[in-house]
Amino acid sequence: MEIRADNIELTLNNNHILKNISLLAKDKKFVGIIGPNGSGKSTMLKCIYRVLKQDSGAIYLNEKNITQISIKDSAKKIAVVAQHNLYNFDFTIEEVVLMGRSPHKKSMERDNAEDYKIANECIDKVGMTSLKGRTFSTLSGGEQQRIILARALAQQTECIILDEPTNHLDIKYQLQLLDIVKSLNITVISAIHDLNIAAMYCDYIYAMKDGGVLYQGTAEEVLTSKRIKELYEVDAEVIKNKYGKMNIVYYTKYIY
Amino acid sequence: MKKFIKAENGFVSKTPLYVTLTIGLLIGLIFSVLYAVTIGSTKIPLSDVYGVIFHKLLSIGDYEIYGKGPLHDIVFYIRLPRLILAVAVGMGLAVCGTVMQAIVKNPLADPYILGVSSGASLGATLAVMLGIGSFFGSNFVGVMGCLGAFLISILVVFIANIGGRSNSVKLLLAGMALSSVCSAFSSFIVYFAHDKNGMMTVSYWLMGSLAGAKWENILVIFPLILVCVIFFISQSRILNLMLLGDEVSVTLGTDLHIYRNVYLLVTSIMIGFIVYNSGMIGFVGLIIPHIVRILVGNDHKKLIPVSALLGAILLVWADVLCRVIIPKNELPIGILISMIGAPCFIYLMIKKTYGFGGKQ
Repeated sequence: MEIRADNIELTLNNNHILKNISLLAKDKKFVGIIGPNGSGKSTMLKCIYRVLKQDSGAIYLNEKNITQISIKDSAKKIAVVAQHNLYNFDFTIEEVVLMGRSPHKKSMERDNAEDYKIANECIDKVGMTSLKGRTFSTLSGGEQQRIILARALAQQTECIILDEPTNHLDIKYQLQLLDIVKSLNITVISAIHDLNIAAMYCDYIYAMKDGGVLYQGTAEEVLTSKRIKELYEVDAEVIKNKYGKMNIVYYTKYIY
Repeated sequence: MKKFIKAENGFVSKTPLYVTLTIGLLIGLIFSVLYAVTIGSTKIPLSDVYGVIFHKLLSIGDYEIYGKGPLHDIVFYIRLPRLILAVAVGMGLAVCGTVMQAIVKNPLADPYILGVSSGASLGATLAVMLGIGSFFGSNFVGVMGCLGAFLISILVVFIANIGGRSNSVKLLLAGMALSSVCSAFSSFIVYFAHDKNGMMTVSYWLMGSLAGAKWENILVIFPLILVCVIFFISQSRILNLMLLGDEVSVTLGTDLHIYRNVYLLVTSIMIGFIVYNSGMIGFVGLIIPHIVRILVGNDHKKLIPVSALLGAILLVWADVLCRVIIPKNELPIGILISMIGAPCFIYLMIKKTYGFGGKQ
């Protein structure tokens, strides 16, 4: 599925947060959004997954304006793994993942055997089957994030949006989570902090700063030491690893 | 099995067990009512009590013995309506509490949290002290209490929707602010009315009682509560989403805004009728949902029916105790529930590994 955002503008509490942003995620491509804190990455994603509404501009799913699609139907097309999920009330893992089936259900319809089967497959896919009886709040941050991913998988969508999903994860699970998402071979839009991870997974990268898109292109085009300096005010060097792929190393004054 | 008990989210979270529990509670409720009807200040032989009931239900037995007279009146006009009212009120309060906790996403919520209790007491105070609403007839205090509760909860929803969509925090704050306003006005009236008897009437009324049960009211409140409970059972998926919050719900395909307002409207109607029939009975709407959360977890598919049944059973027994615990006197049911219910609740809280909405 293709997602296109045209000239998105958004002002919240007198802060001009998104300034004329356009982006395109082609079918089955992994698109990354990078940029320093406060650059508007999450806000942009929230406009796409309809938690916020832009002041002007439009978002299209497969060339259909998102305002013409019901919330329920867009949840059948886009699943979201957001930054953190703290709940006042606790659910079992299975209950949480089953909620991913909601967009496919009428409001009074019960979960059937098929839904349980899908939920269990998704729990299996994120490697959490052994902890299935546990409740969500007893899990570590990383395990919780994997369950949220399982819930998103249970939505069986053609697109998944990741809003800095790997924040609480150690490196093993960061890579595992992104490997799972990459292996789905669906459209992905992800806000990413770690530039090396962005370089590894993204087919296309948008670099945001101060609410605008500063650069866009492949990892090689966007992630150069000059541009990283401009985006993050950090000294970096792009080197090649043993597979010939790019790798970014950072320098601070303490390294010399 | 051992692992499953360690699940910490309720001992009865697998479907067959939960179905067993529901059926068990339903049978328990029926037996509670059948037993409770034999207890009262007047000693009536067991056979006579059931004689009257069977005569009424199936028209068997002798009309001369069971169809009229003081025996018939006590069982049919005093005890039975009271028990059925207890069932309706218990169900209603427990389910409203559960739903309210979902609507405001807060485990501290109870049916009265959004200004309902102070609205009801303002209505009752106006009625008792100033005689407002006396044209409503003999139970005009109840009508005014009910109107107060209903109007304030509608006002809370209205205020929370001004300047953007309502959310759980705005609802809670609007509820608290309106509560303060209502209690201030109640106190103002009480202070300047200089009416000791009136003050007592208001506070007795606020303690809650099932003594005023009448068939004509029960024929309204019982079906109404039952329909509302079934409605909320059918809404369990959306109630579950409410606990996850607005943003997550949107990504899962449901905009909670409309549902929240509809649910508040339905609970206000339920609470209004409960207040009209029984005054204010506190604590049921808070403890029952939490006890049931301990038993079956937070999935509303299980939570709502089990809460309804447990609430009904609790109120039937509380009412029995109220009638017999002090000889020749009746304890207000609100007092009894708080006196006995609160310590039991604290015991459960200490005993069980239950997060009460926080982290375990």
